[in-house]
Amino acid sequence: MKISILAAAVALMAGACSAQAANIEFWYGNTGPVETAIKAQCDAFNAAQTQHKVTCVGQGSYEVSMQKAIAAYRAKNHPVLIQFFDAGTLDLMLSNAVVPVQEILPDVKWDNYIAGARAYYETSGGKLFAQPYNASTLLFYTNKTELEKAGITQTPTTWEEVIDAARKLKAAGHACPFVTDGDTWRVLEQFSARHGLPIASRHNGYDGLDAEYVFNTTFVAKHLQNLVDWRKEGLVKLNADTKAGNYTAAFNAGECAMMEGSSGSYAASTKAFDGKYQLTVNMAPMYKGYERHNTLVGGASIYVMKGHDQAEVDGAKAFLDFLRKPEQQMAFTAATGYVPVTNDVLDAINKSGDAKAAKYATAAIGIESMNQPPTADSRGIRLGFYVQFREIFMEETQKAFGGQQTMQVSLDNAKKRGDELLRRFEQTYKGVKLP
Amino acid sequence: MTSESTLFSNRWLPILLVAPFMLLIVLFFYVPIFQAFYWSFFLEQPFGGGSIFVGLDNFARVLSDREFWQAGWRTIVFMVTASSLAVLIPLILAVAADRKIRLSLPARNVLVWPKGVAGASIGVVFAFVFNPFVGILAPLNKAFPGIWAPGIDGTDAFITLIAAHVWGGIPFNFVILLAGLQSIPRTMHQAAAMDGAGPWRRIFDVQLPLIMPQLFLTLVLEFTESVTSAFALIDTITHGGPGGATTLLVYKIYKDGFSGYDLSGASTQTAILMVFVILLTAAQFLFLGRRINYER
Repeated sequence: MKISILAAAVALMAGACSAQAANIEFWYGNTGPVETAIKAQCDAFNAAQTQHKVTCVGQGSYEVSMQKAIAAYRAKNHPVLIQFFDAGTLDLMLSNAVVPVQEILPDVKWDNYIAGARAYYETSGGKLFAQPYNASTLLFYTNKTELEKAGITQTPTTWEEVIDAARKLKAAGHACPFVTDGDTWRVLEQFSARHGLPIASRHNGYDGLDAEYVFNTTFVAKHLQNLVDWRKEGLVKLNADTKAGNYTAAFNAGECAMMEGSSGSYAASTKAFDGKYQLTVNMAPMYKGYERHNTLVGGASIYVMKGHDQAEVDGAKAFLDFLRKPEQQMAFTAATGYVPVTNDVLDAINKSGDAKAAKYATAAIGIESMNQPPTADSRGIRLGFYVQFREIFMEETQKAFGGQQTMQVSLDNAKKRGDELLRRFEQTYKGVKLP
Repeated sequence: MTSESTLFSNRWLPILLVAPFMLLIVLFFYVPIFQAFYWSFFLEQPFGGGSIFVGLDNFARVLSDREFWQAGWRTIVFMVTASSLAVLIPLILAVAADRKIRLSLPARNVLVWPKGVAGASIGVVFAFVFNPFVGILAPLNKAFPGIWAPGIDGTDAFITLIAAHVWGGIPFNFVILLAGLQSIPRTMHQAAAMDGAGPWRRIFDVQLPLIMPQLFLTLVLEFTESVTSAFALIDTITHGGPGGATTLLVYKIYKDGFSGYDLSGASTQTAILMVFVILLTAAQFLFLGRRINYER
């Protein structure tokens, strides 16, 4: 029974945590090259000073990390620092389990963070709730070598051009012109933000817990129907259509020629392409006739959890200060492709003389993409139980890709199920005001 | 009581001996189950700190949720198909093995090994075996592109799950059924044969009726196990997809509780599922178990 797993998780937590003074714990969810970079930062922090010692614990994924944090918090064995991903923002804001970073560190120049990153994580009063850590945004990746083979010399910038290129690739015998996983973050959130479309009423929930989903009535519906049609035509492939079984793996192996992906995949792609193919990264494609707005800051940020003594909070502050240092952020960007979201780091990169180097490629494009003119609906997503909504959206749209129902039916169902989540969230946090 | 007290001179000793096990059961079964029932009447905030008593609202919400019924229906379809196959196939194998008995001792030992393989490992292996590009059905896909696509087609994914479950169930059921067949006295076969019963008739009129207790045992175990143990397979092979086609109730509960932070809804569904499994087992004992003659 699943409940026994919960009990086991709680029991494990109880054994795994230690809480000596000035010994702090930090939980993160990444794996692969990103995990290596996170560990390097932890080691660097421990080497740079002797007062505090941070132990960094990888939990395997954002979701698992959040699950364990909930169990640990209930058992009062939670770490002082924890990385959470974008979708959990409102759940955490109302959880009463975290302290806004700006409250704990009032003297930091938080306006150093670019507006796009702040908007996602700040309260209505303009206080940052979490310190952005591995920030990412949606980018458009192409395998330049394969595109040139099919006679495409100009990297596509609009969806119309992407599909033209895909048709050429297909005509040239390419099995997988464009690949996506149909992930909610990619096809709904980032698409809506940059096309200036709302996902839910009340400005995506920023104005109140009584928001309702509206994406099924916007241009997103047309785009998703297009994806279904293009897939039938053989231009767009999904995870399960690829040999690699996963869109980034398929792109990195050269199986697919174009993909929409997080800037966080950049390091893995360059490594895989090294010596075989040429890689380009650009801002995600737009439909013709739409003005480009900012893409959302994705990835994750670090929260300070309640219930720790002053020594641990001091340790946490020191670690957060350390992570904000420009040289740390630059090294992290160079190693992973995540985007630095503070202006001083961008200046430092520009001054370093390396600004054009491949390792900072995503920084420039990512920032450019997040700095496009914002709208009230491109600030972020402030909707409850949003992690589960992402899964509902995937589940319903997969049915449309599988041909069981039309995309419009899928989106209407997803809206209906999503609204149920929002109403339950509203009821769970009855009388609680948005911070 | 008297026979027990002759075995244990100290009356506390037997209690002491079962205490560790009882403690585990209480800690990992009764306490969580109680918690689940308790939470099913509340709206629980994920991080604690506040819960609202909502009476039967959670039950009303779950029972009026289309997704719940769909997952429930899938659970029943899986239970019926997967567990009947998981008994039928070992039965055929056991009847076959019973006829040529010389290798049965090593066979029994070798065949039971897969029982030791964890569900998650079976899942990982079957995900590869049924992979549309590199698995055993890849040639079929080459000939008819798109005919086998468990990542897109819900039915294909469901078939993969059933195959993996049946494979995992074969060894144990095989051993139980073979043991039942072996315990049928030779003389019965000989008497039936002398009366002119051919091999098929002997299977249906002598062997099957006489191994009813074993068949009943395997069926009851399979039915209850298929409801809960499908979790590991789903989590490794399909993750409930595509499009929710393999989201059985156990997986839905996990998803709702752990990635949806809907502790109340997950608890409510746990309570409902548990009552269902208890009723199902009780029904089996009431309607099937009574008809079985355990005497030989």
